[in-house]
Amino acid sequence: MSGTPQHGVSRLRAPEFVRERPSKRQLAVFAGYVIAAAVYVAIGVFYTDFLLSVFVGTAYLLLVAWLVPAGVRRLF
Amino acid sequence: MPLLLGSYAPDIMSKWFVYGIHIGGWDLKASDPVQFHRGWPGVGFTHSLLYGVVIAFIFWRLLGSKTWAISFLIGQWAHAITDTGDTVGTMLFFPWTIHIHFGAWAYAGQTGRMTDAAAYFSGLGGVWDAVWIVYGIFSWRVLTRSYFEQHVFTADQFWSRANRYLPVTALLVVYRAAFFYGTSRWIAWTLWAHAVHHYPYDLSWGGPHWVQAEHSKSLSGPQLAGVAGIIVAVVALAYASRRVLARREPRPDAAEPQ
Repeated sequence: MSGTPQHGVSRLRAPEFVRERPSKRQLAVFAGYVIAAAVYVAIGVFYTDFLLSVFVGTAYLLLVAWLVPAGVRRLF
Repeated sequence: MPLLLGSYAPDIMSKWFVYGIHIGGWDLKASDPVQFHRGWPGVGFTHSLLYGVVIAFIFWRLLGSKTWAISFLIGQWAHAITDTGDTVGTMLFFPWTIHIHFGAWAYAGQTGRMTDAAAYFSGLGGVWDAVWIVYGIFSWRVLTRSYFEQHVFTADQFWSRANRYLPVTALLVVYRAAFFYGTSRWIAWTLWAHAVHHYPYDLSWGGPHWVQAEHSKSLSGPQLAGVAGIIVAVVALAYASRRVLARREPRPDAAEPQ
């Protein structure tokens, strides 16, 4: 019994969407967001008004994840 | 976008008055914050299922968008149902004004913004938020650029209209901002409550018990029977509608007319 393949018995395998891993580029983008989040959290812990509004959070993210990188790309 | 709007809708106009604000020489705060926030008379009806249906219907008729209507409804219902988890609960079946509440975490809105935040992120409410953050991380594909461009941008006209003023890269950032904000504020408030101010965790049912929580009365037997009746009626109605719709659809094995 042991060591012989059991035909007709399918092995348990995680579905494709679970096994899929992010690409290097996606991980790099994620790392950028993590840094942005770390700064946001650091400010928010000591100045809690910063945490109160989703509009402030969105504006902050637009600034650090779009405007600043776009400005830097334009300069260099 | 409408789902996010729906999820904020119940508190969007009222929470500031629950916590109170100070403008110039004026202190503006509800005399009975719990009654105002979750009760009737008050704006507690914003936490009801019917409120979501009414606003969704208005969206549908005014904007002509079923996507906006249904997405708003899902977001608003998610908020209203989630808030039944605390000790006050919500008037889920308004205009029936009983409060559906499971009492898993303490309602402390009346204590002010800071104590409320400290209590929420010390009890099962904060844990419940963490469950959704983990679920979001496992669903990371919905935050990718390709998913946004293929599924989100095409499904909601808001994005193509916004695209007249902002590039897709900026819109992608706006789309991701909801998850970014939710996750970051959870981490920040948790650190603020436990690393900076050392509020104790209390993950027991109804906790944290160090805060003066407000409670709704337990439901009586007839009220519980009424709630069960509503749920059974809705399930039966949904089942009957499905059967009617299934009968209307042509069977795949039906012979083509000659």
